[in-house]
Amino acid sequence: MEEKDRKKHHKKHSGPKADKKRKRHLNDLGLGEDEDARKRNPKAFAVQSAVRMARTFHRTQDLKTKKHHIPVVDRTPLEPPPVVVVVVGPPKVGKSTLIKCLIRNFTRQKLIEIRGPITIVSGKRRRLTIIECGCDINTMIDLAKVADLVLMLIDASFGFEMETFEFLNICQVHGFPKIMGVLTHLDSFKNNKQLKKTKKRLKHRFWTEVYQGAKLFYLSGMVHGEYQKQEIHNLGRFISVMKFRPLTWQTSHPYVLADRMEDLTNPEDIRVNPKCDRKVSLYGYLRGAYLKNRSQIHMPGVGDFTVSDVSFLPDPCALPEQQKKRSLNEKEKLIYAPLSGVGGVVYDKDAVYIDLGGSHAHQDEEEEVRPNHELVQSLISTHSTIDVKMASSKVSLFMDSKPLGSEELENQESVMPKEEKQIDVKTGRVRRKALFEGEDDDGATDEEDGQGEEMSDDETEESDGGDGDEEESGEVPGEELGLRSAKQLKREETNEEMAVELPAFADSDDDLELSSGEEGETGLDGSKKEAEDDEDEEESDENESSYCDSESSNRRISKFTHCETGREYKRQRENHNLDGSSGKKVVSATDSGNCTADETSESEAEGSSLEEEESSDSDSEVEGSDRKGIQSASEKNVDGVEEEDGDVENLLKEEEEYGEENDFSSDTAGALKWKEDLTQKAAEAFLRQQQSAPNLRKLVYGTVVEDADEEDDADEELGGLFHVSRPDKESKQKANALDCSKFPVETLQDWDLDEVMNSIQDCFVTGKWEADKDAAKLLEEDDELYGDFEDLETGVVHRGKPSVEGDEAGSEGEEEDKEGKELKAVEEEEEKKRKDKKRKLKEMFDAEYDGDATYFDDLKGEMQKQAQLNRAEFEDQDDESRVQYEGFRPGMYVRIEVENIPCEFVLNFDPHYPVILGGLGNSEGNVGYVQLRLKKHRWYKKILKTRDPIIFSLGWRRFQTIPVYYIEDHNGRHRLLKYSPQHLHCGAAFWGPITPQGTGFLAIQSVSGTMPDFRIAATGVVLDLDKSVTVVKKLKLTGFPFKIYKNTSFIKGMFNSPLEVAKFEGAAIRTVSGIRGQIKKALRKPEGAFRATFEDKLLMSDIVFMRTWYPVSIPTFYNPVTSLLKPAGEKDTWTGMKTTGQLRHELGIRLKQNKDSLYKPIVRERKHFNKLHIPKALQKALPFKNKPKNHEKKAKPTKDQWRPAVIREPHEKKISALLTALGTVHSYKIKKAKLKHRQQLKDYLKRKQKEEEEKFKRQKEAKKKLFRIMGQKEKKRQKSSLKGAGEREK
Amino acid sequence: MALWPPRSRDFRAGEGQDSVPACAPRPPEPLIYDYGIELACQKQKEFVKNSVECKWSLAEAQQKLGSLALHNSESLDQEHAKAQTDASELREREEEWRQKEEALIQRETHNLWNPDSVSKDVFNKSFINQNKIQETEDEDKSKSFMQKHEQKVRHFDFEASFIRLIDKVTNGSRIEINQTGTTLYYQPGLLYGGVLEHDCSPHRSIGYYLESLLCLAPFMKHPLKIVLRGVTNDQVDPSVDVLKATALPLLKKFGIDGDSFELKITRRGMPPKGGGEVIFACPIRKALRPIQFTDPGKIKRIRGTAYSVRVSPQIANRIVDSARSILNKFIPDIYIYTDHMKGASSGKSPGFGLSLTAETTNGTFLSAELASNPQGQGTAVLPEDLGLNCAKLLLEEIYRGGCVDSTNQSLVLLLMTLGQQDVSKVLLGPLSPYTIEFLRHLRSFFQIMFKIETQPTHEELKGGEKVLMTCVGMGFSNLSKTIK
Repeated sequence: MEEKDRKKHHKKHSGPKADKKRKRHLNDLGLGEDEDARKRNPKAFAVQSAVRMARTFHRTQDLKTKKHHIPVVDRTPLEPPPVVVVVVGPPKVGKSTLIKCLIRNFTRQKLIEIRGPITIVSGKRRRLTIIECGCDINTMIDLAKVADLVLMLIDASFGFEMETFEFLNICQVHGFPKIMGVLTHLDSFKNNKQLKKTKKRLKHRFWTEVYQGAKLFYLSGMVHGEYQKQEIHNLGRFISVMKFRPLTWQTSHPYVLADRMEDLTNPEDIRVNPKCDRKVSLYGYLRGAYLKNRSQIHMPGVGDFTVSDVSFLPDPCALPEQQKKRSLNEKEKLIYAPLSGVGGVVYDKDAVYIDLGGSHAHQDEEEEVRPNHELVQSLISTHSTIDVKMASSKVSLFMDSKPLGSEELENQESVMPKEEKQIDVKTGRVRRKALFEGEDDDGATDEEDGQGEEMSDDETEESDGGDGDEEESGEVPGEELGLRSAKQLKREETNEEMAVELPAFADSDDDLELSSGEEGETGLDGSKKEAEDDEDEEESDENESSYCDSESSNRRISKFTHCETGREYKRQRENHNLDGSSGKKVVSATDSGNCTADETSESEAEGSSLEEEESSDSDSEVEGSDRKGIQSASEKNVDGVEEEDGDVENLLKEEEEYGEENDFSSDTAGALKWKEDLTQKAAEAFLRQQQSAPNLRKLVYGTVVEDADEEDDADEELGGLFHVSRPDKESKQKANALDCSKFPVETLQDWDLDEVMNSIQDCFVTGKWEADKDAAKLLEEDDELYGDFEDLETGVVHRGKPSVEGDEAGSEGEEEDKEGKELKAVEEEEEKKRKDKKRKLKEMFDAEYDGDATYFDDLKGEMQKQAQLNRAEFEDQDDESRVQYEGFRPGMYVRIEVENIPCEFVLNFDPHYPVILGGLGNSEGNVGYVQLRLKKHRWYKKILKTRDPIIFSLGWRRFQTIPVYYIEDHNGRHRLLKYSPQHLHCGAAFWGPITPQGTGFLAIQSVSGTMPDFRIAATGVVLDLDKSVTVVKKLKLTGFPFKIYKNTSFIKGMFNSPLEVAKFEGAAIRTVSGIRGQIKKALRKPEGAFRATFEDKLLMSDIVFMRTWYPVSIPTFYNPVTSLLKPAGEKDTWTGMKTTGQLRHELGIRLKQNKDSLYKPIVRERKHFNKLHIPKALQKALPFKNKPKNHEKKAKPTKDQWRPAVIREPHEKKISALLTALGTVHSYKIKKAKLKHRQQLKDYLKRKQKEEEEKFKRQKEAKKKLFRIMGQKEKKRQKSSLKGAGEREK
Repeated sequence: MALWPPRSRDFRAGEGQDSVPACAPRPPEPLIYDYGIELACQKQKEFVKNSVECKWSLAEAQQKLGSLALHNSESLDQEHAKAQTDASELREREEEWRQKEEALIQRETHNLWNPDSVSKDVFNKSFINQNKIQETEDEDKSKSFMQKHEQKVRHFDFEASFIRLIDKVTNGSRIEINQTGTTLYYQPGLLYGGVLEHDCSPHRSIGYYLESLLCLAPFMKHPLKIVLRGVTNDQVDPSVDVLKATALPLLKKFGIDGDSFELKITRRGMPPKGGGEVIFACPIRKALRPIQFTDPGKIKRIRGTAYSVRVSPQIANRIVDSARSILNKFIPDIYIYTDHMKGASSGKSPGFGLSLTAETTNGTFLSAELASNPQGQGTAVLPEDLGLNCAKLLLEEIYRGGCVDSTNQSLVLLLMTLGQQDVSKVLLGPLSPYTIEFLRHLRSFFQIMFKIETQPTHEELKGGEKVLMTCVGMGFSNLSKTIK
């Protein structure tokens, strides 16, 4: 039935498709008409002109090479950081909506508010960090520098706006990231044609700005306040497959787009001085290049800082681990945006914070707790520094550093249900995003520790009410209370320990291990109890949380044990320990006051902790289908294994250490000890000719533990007050020793002995060679390679050495008695041989046929090799040691501690503004003179004035400085310009941060507010960096002659002293009238007068001048734009130094003009020239025609020649008047007649021409007719004749 | 510096052909005094006419005073007082002049008017604190002190010269040394380069200065071409010959190459007086190439230079013979040049020595050197012994092995550190104490840590254990180089 309905397929017989098919068919048959023009018509392609041939060849070659880019080493890490997607556009264009839609598209989660960067997993190999860019030019500049992809939203109903173009220009200057246009508001067009037109217009404009064929996306309309799903999906696909070109600046500098900020300042300091500089930790993915610890960074909008500590954290938004064919499952579609309050797990250096709450199960509980929270919240909002205390006290707190007001809480409550519902529908999972309750929980508990006694009531309440805390707090509170006072006393100390904590974690994990082990126990206990209490689904979750909490509290306490007051706690701990012996050891370890413990205890603890972890693993696995639980557990597991690895390594190392030395790790207090006899050891080592291999690194760099540990050793404290600085005798001696790079031989070996001589025998070409390089061996191999082959032409079979055959035969013979293993070995060997052979043949083939490898190819190959090496070199090492060698590699999630940050940064923190940490290269933190090539932007309305302060965006920085514009003369002189030229490049020099040459920059007049016009004033590139600069301006010194001899004159008034004259002896001078001269020597009498010679005699009225060049000093003014320090809401109002023009305008001061420089009408006196007098002698010598002629003076006309005036009579006057009138009339008439006649003539000619044409036409027609007839006749005749002939033939 | 006690004459008494006269003994006291004044004048370059004139007039006045005292003894007191006031007045005037002069100099440096040419003198070059020089000026007081602490002062002297050299090649660096010479404040400027000359202190050889220049020269603003004068070969530092033979090819591996890259020895100067001259020219580069230099190859030839100055030319030949006698057992391709300098190019002190270089198939250069004891120090050295010992030293160096010889270990490590952000590898022999210290400095300055792996010798007869050094460059680029 259906088949009948279906149309039968008709083959196409015409149209392009059919043509193509036919052609292909013909080609297949070899009958193609255009098989090969060269073959068909070889002559046409013969070389006509060798010159032209050469030219065409050159041209093609040129075109080919033009396409090449200089190959660069590919330094993208194996696991790249998330791609930064910046969404830009003017206000109300739909940026936030787009981001929300995209996130929903990728993660199936709905965000309510977008604050700061949002990281999501978009695919198996790609993550995205999406950030919204406001219209503040500061933000635009900062984000353009870190963007990988820009989504440029354009309101199609409105057209392009200035912001769009400004952003494009900013991008252009700072290396062009990928830009994708997105047209929105397309539904406002009612007329389809209009829509099409607009699209086309916008597209073409966009193309001219970006590049031809730049991708432009159309979002046609909104459905329920969101863009259409399919369109967003497509956009997402485009984003996730996009490829990126490396940008020079980005690949050569490390940078972090911070997605989390925490204040770590000592709360006591803040209490004493609320405006004290802060210590802040910032989190984010590291991008660009390797980041070294203690390197300099710049935070745009804040300033330059030195990184005080870097550590890497587990990836909060990791890519799926194993590669599968399928797409991502829900578990892998992660989202991480702490500033927006999303993202479940937050890692810190030594703790994991898990964001709880938001699930149904907790709702009633939460409601009970709420008033309590509000109280706490209000406290938080009043003392904004409370989070600082939380951070310093190391209790888990939620990431959102901005204190939430109670009204905010209300708001969130109102939106909450929606969110929750959505999640319930989806998975019914506990894990959730923006959770303020859980956060409050944590925050509250944290706070107690920070706050002190007065909060203890709250604390107990809290611990009763809190879900995970209870066991821990039940155990601890007594101790905690006891400890609190001590803690307050020793806060500084603990703080310092915080700083030192990284190495402890990094290397000697014993402390951590122990504590974590215990944590495991307590956590387990807790979980078991929990299990008894309630058999809820969330049980495992709580286990998790309790785990975390207990960990943190445990940590807290273990820290206290460093103080002597923590004795009771130790007892407590012992009780809690399951393993008595290990517990004992723990005590001893803590007693020593240092983190390191015995190896044995370490390993034991290790084992126990591992067990614990495993058990907890299994527990959680059994109990929960909870995603989070599994995840974190697995992470733990991994951690544990890693740590173990590290331990094993340590152990090995320590064992290998010089046998006679006792264990270093055991004498923990005297960690300096090894350092003291370091040099001695070194000497020993060298005397023994470097036998101790694995210790070399230790010898050079000290322990594997980073220098932080050394520092710890160095500033050992006495009673927490005094630093013990022991002068290192050895090092002192070393400093005083002769610094010489020579490596003297201390004990010369006896080179007369044969054995000694033989020991270096193979270093010479005369010695034995390696197998792969020995010429004889190579020859042999070649023989093998060419061993058997059959000459196909003659059919002769050449045989090589029968070694292989013999082998085969042997193997055949021995097959029975030999075992399969050996056979396998033989096979493998053969396989290897075969492969080798194959490879060699291939190489030879390649060499023969791909022989024309160009320089470019070689270079590319080299780079590729380097890239491979870079990747492979440290791959096998664990991150801890790798970080030491390479620095932190891009792609890692890092935590960066920065000190001395102005308090305004923390107080006025606004997550809507991006916080960027841009790493600075070597000496980029210095200041000096920077020379630029600058061009005023063609759209900027004004020209720029020298010494007007202007804001540059250069490198990572935005800063205000005072540039000086100059132009380079032909002789290389830099001449000052008062204003930048209109449509010309000029030089600019300013005093500011040194930035590598070739870096682009842009200049703007002000970053505050919005201006109606285009804001980018100038763009350009850095040319040169120096510590001095040579811009000069012209200075003319004038003088006057006071005595004139022939060509010599005495000039005064140019200088003030003979010394000055002496400096300018020999200088060229000139008079205004153009007579050139030279300064000779100073005169004695009038001070500063001198003798000068000229090419001609001067006049006393001449003015003599000398052109000199005076160096211009460039104002040393550098003022970073600190826009991030401004209060929230005023961040775009930064104003720096004002220009004099602005100041004058504001203060109403009018410019007083120099009267001399005003233009006045030039009044020139008439010049009288005397008669030219020619001397008689000269007259005589002149030729006749030039001789003045002695004309006789004409006599006055005589009376008869002189005609008297005629005076007419009135009558005569009348007559003559009439006659003139008549004459006028007549002449007018004649004129008129002439005109008429001319017209007539014109007409006549026209007519005539027309007639002529017609006639010609007629004639032509007639001729045509005639010829046609004649032609026909002729044809007929011919035909007849042909016919006749034919007939005749027939 | 003539402050050292005169050298004994019996320099190398063992050698019959030593015809060079030792420096004549001079009366110590007055000469030193004169010398001191001269030295002060010489050192204080800004000290010009006016102040000198004033000094003269002061001296004149003093003389007058003296004569007055001789002539009329009755009004002696009166005249004396008068003369004294005169003298003090003159002193004041001198002070005034000095001030004026200083002001003038300052003004000159600030506003340099120069007719029609781009001023190049605007560099705010720093100066070494005057106070230190004044310390040397009032010598008569500290004479005994100087004699006592000769060694220490020597120690300081070459460092001062080095600081001056650094000052010359940089622009905008600030160097301040306090009065006692115990602290040094150095604020780095920009490497400038250009055509320069420098008189090195004869207490260390030119190699000492050259080593640091080798590190700095590729990163200058303008290609460096510097004439260094001083001691070319001594027993302490790597000599110019060795650096030329080993360091230059090493730099070439990093992409520092070109016609203008050369080290030319125009004059040889031996300690203690020196008088040698070396021209070092180096092109500039924006960035360095990473290297993978892990296979030293096999030694294919040995070259060397046996030099002798102000001694019999036969000595060089004797050295060559003895050195060859050992080395011939290993490889036949040996050529040792004899370099006998005569006349002006032979420096101021006699001496001889030998430097040997072994070149491998892969372009590794290993070197050893030995020089005779300086005139008047130690015992005489037989050229035969010297040759033998030097050859043995070379064998020792070969035993140590690696792709870079022990002198240049730190140089190669530095250049690797300053490379692009790529992995560089180099195989070294045992690390010298200097290198170990250097590695620590590299870590503290650049935060660069090397991966150090020891490569065991597998029964091959290739000398001692080697160390494989691996690092990721810090991505250094020449910030001084101008782009046009």
